[in-house]
Amino acid sequence: MERPLSPFMFPTWYRFQLTSVLSILHRLTGIALAVGSILLAWWLVAVAAGGDVFAATHAFITSPIGVLLLFGWSAAFFYHLCSGIRHLAWDAGYGFEIRDAYRTGYAVLTATGVLTALTWLYVLLA
Amino acid sequence: MANSRSLSNSTALRDESVLRRVRHLGSARDGLQEWRLQRWTALALIPLGLYFAASILRLATSDQVTAAAWLASPVGALLVILFVLAALAHALVGLRSVLVDYVHTRALLVAAELLVRGATVILAGASVLAVLKLFLGR
Repeated sequence: MERPLSPFMFPTWYRFQLTSVLSILHRLTGIALAVGSILLAWWLVAVAAGGDVFAATHAFITSPIGVLLLFGWSAAFFYHLCSGIRHLAWDAGYGFEIRDAYRTGYAVLTATGVLTALTWLYVLLA
Repeated sequence: MANSRSLSNSTALRDESVLRRVRHLGSARDGLQEWRLQRWTALALIPLGLYFAASILRLATSDQVTAAAWLASPVGALLVILFVLAALAHALVGLRSVLVDYVHTRALLVAAELLVRGATVILAGASVLAVLKLFLGR
């Protein structure tokens, strides 16, 4: 009999849990940020190169896709940052109770939303 | 045993000959350094990342002269180089732990790890060179 493996059970077999979703999101945003470092290196090289290379990069970043990527990068970054601080607290031995895990989980989501919104407000107004 | 090398650091031949390793029992006896590196870089990335995110989101869409001026300033250049190095070291540990979890073929795992390591080194080198060029050429 084909048995589903544990992490992949939750869309069909497990009830939705905030805790497991946040854990998976931490990984996914980590991978996304690692991929994003390619764009970061490209941008740094483009600034150093100047001329046509920078013009092409600039056109890409200011295009709708570029702005969407930038927004995605900021949301992923703030999520991974807040969630990472939650992980560091666990490493230090705090917040293992289920009630605490839910509270800090909601706090991470709220902080991510607030930080992302504040940053873009600052970017758009500055 | 305090000064001897850990089991998994000895030769591959010896590794294979130990029955409990062949059967994949017990811990790998190393990995603490990597675990620590991930935590130290995580701590460093809290202030570095906040500084970087605030700067890059403002400057990413700016013109070349403004961006170059930021990377040519001593504080900007230093913090960007530190951010890139800490972020890539942190990413390397994280990506390797993802690979170890999901790639179950030894040859594929080694190939994927090499690819990730190589890409990380190239990205780090390119980023640092770019910032140094702007910093030294100002």
